[in-house]
Amino acid sequence: MSASSKPTISRRSFIKLSGAAAAAAAVGGPSRVLHALVSGKEEGAGVAAREMFSACDMCFNKCGLIARVQDGVIKKLDPNPNSLKSRGMLCARGNAGIKQLYDPDRLKYPLLRKGGRGEGKWHRLTWDQALDHAAEQMQRIGEAYTRCGFLFMAGTDMQSTFVHRFAEAYGSYNVISHESNCLLSRNRAFLDTFGVVPTPDVLHSKYIIMPGANRFEALVTPDSMDLMTAMQGGCKLVVLDPRFTKTAALADEWYAIKPGTDMAFFLAIAQVLISENLYDEKFVAEKINGLDEFKAHVVQYTPEWAEKETEIPARDIRRMARELAAAAPAAMIYPGRRSSDYTDSTQIRRSFAIVNALLGNWDREGGLIVPKKIKTGSIYHDAPFYEDNPEDRVDAGRAQMMFDEEGSFKHTRDAVIEGRPYPVKGWFTYKTNPMQTGANRNKTIQMIDNLDFMMSVDIVMSDTAWMADLVLPAPSYLERKDPISAFLASSSCSGVITRDPIVPAMFESKPVFWVVKELAKRLDLTESFNFTIDDFRKAQLEKLPEVASALKNEGVYNITGPSYGIHEGKPFKTKSKKIEIYNSRYVENGVDPMPVYHPPQPVPRDHFRMVVGRNAFITQSASTNNSLLWELQNENSLWIHPKPASTLGINHGDRVEVVSPAGRGSLKARVTEETRPDTVYMDTGFGVISKGLSNIFGKGACIAEILEDHADSVSGNMAMHETFVRVQRI
Amino acid sequence: MKQSRPKKYGIVIDGSKCIDCKACMIACKVENNVPEGMWRNWIRPLQNMSGKYKSEFQPGQCMQCDDPSCVAACPVGATYKQADGLVVIDPKKCIGCGNCVSACPYGARYRNPEKKIADKCDFCQHRLKRGEEPACVITCPTKSRIFGDLNDPTSEVSRLVSEGKLVRIIAPHINTRPNIYYREGTRLLDWAVTPTLPGNIHMPAEFWE
Repeated sequence: MSASSKPTISRRSFIKLSGAAAAAAAVGGPSRVLHALVSGKEEGAGVAAREMFSACDMCFNKCGLIARVQDGVIKKLDPNPNSLKSRGMLCARGNAGIKQLYDPDRLKYPLLRKGGRGEGKWHRLTWDQALDHAAEQMQRIGEAYTRCGFLFMAGTDMQSTFVHRFAEAYGSYNVISHESNCLLSRNRAFLDTFGVVPTPDVLHSKYIIMPGANRFEALVTPDSMDLMTAMQGGCKLVVLDPRFTKTAALADEWYAIKPGTDMAFFLAIAQVLISENLYDEKFVAEKINGLDEFKAHVVQYTPEWAEKETEIPARDIRRMARELAAAAPAAMIYPGRRSSDYTDSTQIRRSFAIVNALLGNWDREGGLIVPKKIKTGSIYHDAPFYEDNPEDRVDAGRAQMMFDEEGSFKHTRDAVIEGRPYPVKGWFTYKTNPMQTGANRNKTIQMIDNLDFMMSVDIVMSDTAWMADLVLPAPSYLERKDPISAFLASSSCSGVITRDPIVPAMFESKPVFWVVKELAKRLDLTESFNFTIDDFRKAQLEKLPEVASALKNEGVYNITGPSYGIHEGKPFKTKSKKIEIYNSRYVENGVDPMPVYHPPQPVPRDHFRMVVGRNAFITQSASTNNSLLWELQNENSLWIHPKPASTLGINHGDRVEVVSPAGRGSLKARVTEETRPDTVYMDTGFGVISKGLSNIFGKGACIAEILEDHADSVSGNMAMHETFVRVQRI
Repeated sequence: MKQSRPKKYGIVIDGSKCIDCKACMIACKVENNVPEGMWRNWIRPLQNMSGKYKSEFQPGQCMQCDDPSCVAACPVGATYKQADGLVVIDPKKCIGCGNCVSACPYGARYRNPEKKIADKCDFCQHRLKRGEEPACVITCPTKSRIFGDLNDPTSEVSRLVSEGKLVRIIAPHINTRPNIYYREGTRLLDWAVTPTLPGNIHMPAEFWE
């Protein structure tokens, strides 16, 4: 049995999954309000369309979609209203997905580099030649430098699990995810406070403070839609952001907080909650560890003190603390999922987590929740043991408390460049693009220069693929069969999704599952890959027949029922079995057990702090070359405040050069009061070096080239906002 | 009998829900093969940093007017109003003169450079025929647009219209009686322009207000 989708012609006529309907559905299970305005169906001339369920892959959200296919061509992608997580929507990127499929820039067949690295000279190989070559290199590097001499890095993708499995079978524990260039400091902080990373029940919240998160542009389903639904119902939104984002524009209050001072703000909020006894005493007594220590710790952090740090008036901080308390437990500091920003990112996010704890919003409606998740089965394998392998990961010990299963791109890169503690000479990347997302691109190039062999599996010639020795073409999400994926989302909308090919894979593209399976054959590792995707899915769903049937009939399996009040009385998965405001494991690891405020580095004279982000039609570096999205934005610009712009003689639209100790980039200036005078901003995803990205080559500047590679000291995550730049007109 | 009355399609737009994500614009573009650089719909921003009033993003498209100036401006009868209220273009008749483009108070029309004819939103009438809502309506993350039959008193749009908390955007000097309604309180009310009708087109006095 497979969970393949079948054609679903008659469906979702005039469905209204509005915010309100979604809210109702969240309580009562899936609700499809069918409301036919036109009777009957009048198909136009020609072959009737076929419609199939799938899940979007234009970003990490996995929103449900329905593809309309006619004459073997996908004509349109529409939202799948059955998907509670995506609340029956598909964003601009989701709609532009057909241009990921039908893109003349796609990789078409295996390519081997013939010039220098990054020179862009290639010759075409057959798949057999390509795989033989890759296997030879893997064998050689494994023998010469141990199996850990080969590094694996796979992006957020439903097939990445097979890359990890391959790395395990091959014998390398040097596996890094994209996440260490992203949100690991948040995960670290919330895990170390609550014993688990919660999701925010935005839909039912009455008061949300959003520090640095830009939920109306950096879309997260269902949080982005739920935020609007909640606000329409009276929820108050406060945004702290040095930039006037669209989230800031739509908020009830926006504060252009001084960058790097969020912790001061939240420690002051905590100080007010404690000094005015505004926290839930019963909750705190039962569930929190270390309140006495914390009480003594925050005495110093008054709103008046915080005003000097954050530039937010003390009376507003005090007022917001009281308003939060009045709305609690349906109030929250939104955990966010932005990339880590400062060297004490984990501690900054600990301060968010601690205020949430004081609000007593844990496992409560409108607070932080841990919904139920489906546990899928797997096909287990015994990975071979390689005796000569080193003790630990190559990046071990470079951060205080790194996630072993995620690693750190920044620290791994340093280790590869230094050749310490042992040499790493091979690199396998799948659908991840650290050349664009990992700060300090020149160092990434230096790392690659240190390698004997690098291979990239991707859909297009990303900047990372551009640097590789061997490039293998992968199909898009609309052309391949994926395993089952269970996801955790907000209130009553976690679920399970999968993908089947809507159309056959184009050109010579092959899914990464097939690639690693073929490599396994050549490296005598077939025991770990003795199955097909169908076998794998069968194992995943063996004990879940209801999931299989929902995937077939609805295109998604939704977990409904209450998402809060379900953990009452259970111990927290922390050392003290309670919420750890004071974390004793931190002490053991040389980390402050409670967040201690250190002011950010001051912006030097004639410099700016550079901050980065994106809008609703950018997925980091993966979407900017899409020809539909390119119409919305064909380059990035430097947001600069009119005051410094005038001093520097920069007018709106002028070309400017941005220079940091790490690198430089040139792009157009957007002179705007929507950023602070001491802060400049640019979008991710431009300034590419790959000529294989024909729409955006030569457009805008690359954040990774300009940003310096600082790291969050606890998690080892790249810290993206610690770079000061000079700006000049050119 | 529900089907006895002719339909009159309309949209109620709540600009306070729009987050300016452009999903509707890309959805429309794909659904209707709108060429590069051209759009059938839009989102009009009104941002305000002072906090004095809320910022707003206002979606829009052809308003399927009851007194469409574009129809009056068409010299060959290619643009006409259907019984279901939709203002449509007959591609076989359109000569691509562009009169209708300047005759629209809302800038809802453009000349398709590939087909050399006028083009605009028709509420995805091919989707309506399949029993599906317009692409922009269903794809919207916050469901900023509500679509329905204004002649059906049980429809959500009729209910909203009867509640009376809606406004229409009317150009100076001419009321084309649009069928897109906006939630009361929108500040983006005065952007429509008095249409430019070609010199040989003369409208009766009551056409002008």
